[in-house]
Amino acid sequence: MNAKSMIKILVITYGLIGILPIFVSDSSIMMRILTMILIWSIVASCWDLIMGYAGIFSFGQVAFYVIGAYSSAILSVSLNLPPVFAIFAAGIITAIIGVLVGLPCLKLAGPYIALVTFAFQLALEPFLKGPLGKAIGSGGSRGIISVPPIEIFGISFSSSELVPFFYLALVMTLICSAVIVVILKSHWGTAFLALKDSEDFAASLGVSAFKYKLLVFGITSFITGLFGALYVHYVGILSTRMLSMEVFTVLLIMIVVGGIGQYPGVVLGAVVTVTMNELLRPMGIYRLLIMGGLVVVIVLFLPDGVTGLIRKFSVFSNRKKKEDRKVFL
Amino acid sequence: MLIEIIDVIISGLLNGSVYALMAIGLALVYGVTKAFNFAYGSFYTMGGYFAWVILVQMEIPGGYYTVFLTAIPFLFIVGFLLEKFLVAPLRKRDDWQMKAMMLTLGLALFLDIGYMASFGPRLKSLPDIVEGTLEIGPLVFMKQDLVIFVLSITGLLCFAWLLNNTRVGMAVQAVAQNPAGAQIVGIPKERVFAATFAISTIMVGIGGILLSQKNFVNPQASTGIMIKAWVITAFGGMGSIKGSLYAALIIGMLEAFVGYYLGMIHIDIAVLTLLLITLAFRPQGLMGRE
Repeated sequence: MNAKSMIKILVITYGLIGILPIFVSDSSIMMRILTMILIWSIVASCWDLIMGYAGIFSFGQVAFYVIGAYSSAILSVSLNLPPVFAIFAAGIITAIIGVLVGLPCLKLAGPYIALVTFAFQLALEPFLKGPLGKAIGSGGSRGIISVPPIEIFGISFSSSELVPFFYLALVMTLICSAVIVVILKSHWGTAFLALKDSEDFAASLGVSAFKYKLLVFGITSFITGLFGALYVHYVGILSTRMLSMEVFTVLLIMIVVGGIGQYPGVVLGAVVTVTMNELLRPMGIYRLLIMGGLVVVIVLFLPDGVTGLIRKFSVFSNRKKKEDRKVFL
Repeated sequence: MLIEIIDVIISGLLNGSVYALMAIGLALVYGVTKAFNFAYGSFYTMGGYFAWVILVQMEIPGGYYTVFLTAIPFLFIVGFLLEKFLVAPLRKRDDWQMKAMMLTLGLALFLDIGYMASFGPRLKSLPDIVEGTLEIGPLVFMKQDLVIFVLSITGLLCFAWLLNNTRVGMAVQAVAQNPAGAQIVGIPKERVFAATFAISTIMVGIGGILLSQKNFVNPQASTGIMIKAWVITAFGGMGSIKGSLYAALIIGMLEAFVGYYLGMIHIDIAVLTLLLITLAFRPQGLMGRE
């Protein structure tokens, strides 16, 4: 997809989401859904960047999100740091941890990376609940209650003020989306794709796998940590429940619905998934059953997700695709 | 003091032997089909629930004999159909490995929540396979532990015999070494893939029946078992069966000692640390090939 249509889809999607609060600002449920769409769309985009474009099977995205949330909460509760700074510090901490997790992954082949990053997520929960986590102020299995809300120039953004927080999240989402588009369309994005398609060939052309793989780990974990931190100051409470399989699967569904490596697709995936997740909430345990079944069905019948579906039905982009192919042949 | 250590070693050996059964199934299926099966742990739980339904809910006579006689064909069919209808259609695509990972992850969630929805969230206990204890001097063994150990070792030996001495086993080895070459000499590749999946499902399901007697049937155990089986195969070397055997025993021992001396909560961290250190120095695992 070229940069122009990428930006077009992003502007239309976020524009529509940005206008909606004018009509639904009284309904707290709708506002919550819209805010969560914004937060998850960026977390899922980062996952798409690392998995779909860079081709690294990183399954640690939820772990990075939770690390961002915990570091910001601990910094602002234990050290009384103002949340605005705590959020950026959390992003940097998450980026450092992301690079540390990325280091052993450099040597490993695809499935091993999935395993190491997934095991990292599973080990994070006992770590946060255990004595080591308590020592750094994670609050053990009770978690952290009373995380202070963000305050900028005396205005407080919290879960009691849904509309201001929504627009704060929108601004951050737009900035991060712009960063992602710029990265994808710069030579970095090309380098990621080249490494994904053929690492040996890319290396022979002077593309450093070491540099770019660590770079993608750093960038995605920084943005993910930032949004994890944003989320924790929004809800105000935090526990290790965030590390459950449920959160992981919901994130997975976004990327499956949107299509892997089809960038703005994953944003549409987030819109569909978060809305559906909320609509199915009254169904209790069957909600997750449906979600799990849905992943299987979509992967089998719609391998490229919504993006693939749109492409199939639009004659224009079909022609376009053929032209692209001609260039390479 | 000495008796305590012997107890810990026994529990490590017991867990290690069952882990070996499960991890070797996974090493086999990864080595042959190259599919990353995330739903593997859910078949462990499936084995446990299958035994529970037969022994406790329906009270079919025959005890564990009936369980094993019916579980093996049942798990075979489940694994075979899973490969045929869910994994095989993905193979046409270039990025099928990633797609297979996602599909099996969705399937894992579907199965785990399915168990919880149909059997309830409470743990189910299975009757002991043999009652009573065996005393040798100051040492007291539970007969159940001995039977589980013997059965899992028997399962491993059966598997080794199947792989080395039967036509199916040789076909599996041929496909693992060279899929295209195997196809040229007339081995039906697709059917071998499905059969491998089915055999691995049997191995993990039997593991579930054996270990659930001690750990209860738990609808939330699947993820832990799946990760454990993967850690063991990665530690031993992906696709290396001998490596998985040693790795399973090492991890079983490590778990028993860490769990006894430092507390259960540190088990996952210790296992992950061991894996990371090993992979940092030997990215291909203990006995894997480059």
